[in-house]
Amino acid sequence: MTSSIEPTMIGLSEKGHSLLKRLKEDEHFAEMADAYRFGIALALAHGVVPGDPAAPRTTVFSVGTIDPDREIYDAIRTLHDTESLPVYKWAERLAEWGVTELWHRASSGALDLAALLKEVRELG
Amino acid sequence: MKLLRLSMENFMPYKGKTSIVFPTDERRNVLIIFGDNMRGKTSLLNAIRWGFYEKALGRHLRELPLHELHNKEAGDEGDWNMEVRIEFEADGHQYNLLRRATKKAIVARPTRPEDFEVEVLLQKDSLLVSGQNVASEINRYVPEQVSRFFLFDGELLQEYEELLIEGSEQGKAIKLAIEQVLGVPTLINGRTDVGTVLRAAQKQQAKDLAHVSGLENQAKRQAELQVTLDSQEEDLARLLSVLTDKKRERGKLEEELDKVDAVHRAKVQLDSVRQRQKDILTQQNDLDAERLSLMRDAWRDLLRHKFEVRRASLLEERNRISRLMERKSSLQSQAEGLRDLLETEKCPTCGQRGNLEDREKYGSELGLLEVQVREIEVTDDDLSEVIQRLKFVDKMLSASVAHKLESTSAQYRKLDVELTKLDNESDRLEEDVRGFDTAEIARKRQLRDGLLREEGALLTDINSVRRSIDTTNNQLAMVARALHSMPQARASASTSLVNLATSVERVFAESIEKLREKLRKHVQERASEAFQELTTQKTYSGLEINANFGLKILDETGADVAIRSAGAEQIVALSLIDGLARTGRSAGPVVMDTPFGRLDLKHRDNILKYLPTTTSQLVLLVHGGEIRRPRDLDPISQRIGGSYEIKEVNARHSKIERINL
Repeated sequence: MTSSIEPTMIGLSEKGHSLLKRLKEDEHFAEMADAYRFGIALALAHGVVPGDPAAPRTTVFSVGTIDPDREIYDAIRTLHDTESLPVYKWAERLAEWGVTELWHRASSGALDLAALLKEVRELG
Repeated sequence: MKLLRLSMENFMPYKGKTSIVFPTDERRNVLIIFGDNMRGKTSLLNAIRWGFYEKALGRHLRELPLHELHNKEAGDEGDWNMEVRIEFEADGHQYNLLRRATKKAIVARPTRPEDFEVEVLLQKDSLLVSGQNVASEINRYVPEQVSRFFLFDGELLQEYEELLIEGSEQGKAIKLAIEQVLGVPTLINGRTDVGTVLRAAQKQQAKDLAHVSGLENQAKRQAELQVTLDSQEEDLARLLSVLTDKKRERGKLEEELDKVDAVHRAKVQLDSVRQRQKDILTQQNDLDAERLSLMRDAWRDLLRHKFEVRRASLLEERNRISRLMERKSSLQSQAEGLRDLLETEKCPTCGQRGNLEDREKYGSELGLLEVQVREIEVTDDDLSEVIQRLKFVDKMLSASVAHKLESTSAQYRKLDVELTKLDNESDRLEEDVRGFDTAEIARKRQLRDGLLREEGALLTDINSVRRSIDTTNNQLAMVARALHSMPQARASASTSLVNLATSVERVFAESIEKLREKLRKHVQERASEAFQELTTQKTYSGLEINANFGLKILDETGADVAIRSAGAEQIVALSLIDGLARTGRSAGPVVMDTPFGRLDLKHRDNILKYLPTTTSQLVLLVHGGEIRRPRDLDPISQRIGGSYEIKEVNARHSKIERINL
């Protein structure tokens, strides 16, 4: 079950935010919002059950910017039980994990999407 | 006449002393010298030319200045002596010709022809020929005016192929050159001189007759036309002089551009490589933008597998709910029947009223059914939600960008590889053009093109002035005829002089035409003989040369052959040159530089077989692309009396070595 009180703004920890900025500056993504979405999907694909994100928190985006068509919302609801947490709260936690992971993978050079896809397929 | 030995010292690329011995055996009179392009084949031809005539020619017949003939490397080492010695025999005499250029003592480093002193010594049977007789002695055997026909290169051949194009400008220029070497200008100069006398006489006549009653108008008209003619001829002379200057200037530019042709080609290639590099960077930027745009949606692909698994479970869920709903619906329908029965006490099937026992049974059944219905906890909303989720999952699965991203990356990588190759190519080309002023080369090319356009415009103007001169001359002739018919005019002394000069001019004009015709027929016969030997097409009966030295190939019926191959045109040109060479002098040596350009094997074999029979010696300067040794030389293997190869020591130094074939 999900809570009906969904947040209207979501973000990351300060560290996550700085990694997100680097991902854009290094031209892995055109916008920080794209990297944010990608991070959520990466965490979902890995079946991550995220814990509470590290403090302090930085509000980065309005939900409407990240998920204008509510696809992220539906994807999380379709693939995961958010354990009574509002979906976008869950998304925020997934993003924290996903963006950090993305940064680890991108910091060595180009982001190898083909390798990422292969990896998540093998994860099942 | 036969060449015996050519010795050179510091002449063009031949640094130090170099010599060639010519074959003298009449049955083995072919000397073949191999050399790749830019090694010094044409320099060898120029050594002979300079030895005989103190002239060396570059492209477009531009005379090379003396200081450019001296070997640069020898100059750098302080050796400023340059000489060519030609030993030859003719009419039973032995000749030893030495031409030497040495730097003047007061000059540190020569930069112009005047910085050298040139001396020539000719020994005839060990006796020194006095200075003023040297040129005439040489011209007895190897006349300079026909030297282009026995010391010739591929460029001449290409020029002469123009004669096959009716009315070409080049054809007119060649006609003049041919007439020049065949002696026609002597008569033309005579006619010009008489024309000058005639003009002066006509002027005097106009003055004299201006005072004779009844002739004033004619005399005035004649004077006006003469002024017009003078002005037109001045215009023509000025235009011709400008044209000559432009051609000279262009020739010089062509020569300079030829030297840096490789640099120019490298620069053009470099520009093209740089443009391609720019294009690739633009393409990569575009691909990058596309990649970034695709990455916006790539998150869905990360979840693809999860969505596929989820889709399968949703389908299962949908089927389960559908089954349960069908079951529930069926139970509800049965319960509805029993409810009706109990209410109406009639069997819904047969319509008979039931008894009390039956009602209890039906009531019990209805209760059971109602329990079963209640136990099925699915609703339309449940099914609807599953269907909504399935729709969403299908939408996510259909929105993949992975293939597009992979294709974009593959294109990007491919361009990266090309870019690396281009970087290497660009480094190499930059090395090739380093040290050269490519902007100056581009400027000179523009100048050269501009001069070509100016020459075209000048030729149009020249033709226009020539037509005006013809018109004025015709008008003058009409006035002269009118005056001649009047007794008052005939009586004057100036009229007598005009009549005399007119008659003499007519004699010259007719003589010119007769000489031209005689020479034309002579050259035509010789050229046709050569053509029949050289052509591989046996239906060709010969060549016809028209008054402008335009050439036609005739077939066996004497008709013009309109369609010719490039090879056939080259053979025609070669035949004409052979005809001219044999018209202008007695048989002697022929030196040919790169003569086989576009010829097929059969034509080449014909030339190799024919020319040794019409020359005292045949010297062939060829590159590997023209003659592949030894097999291409089979047709004349018995006639080869010597062979050499020009080898490069460095870009400014070549040497000649005797080789065995």
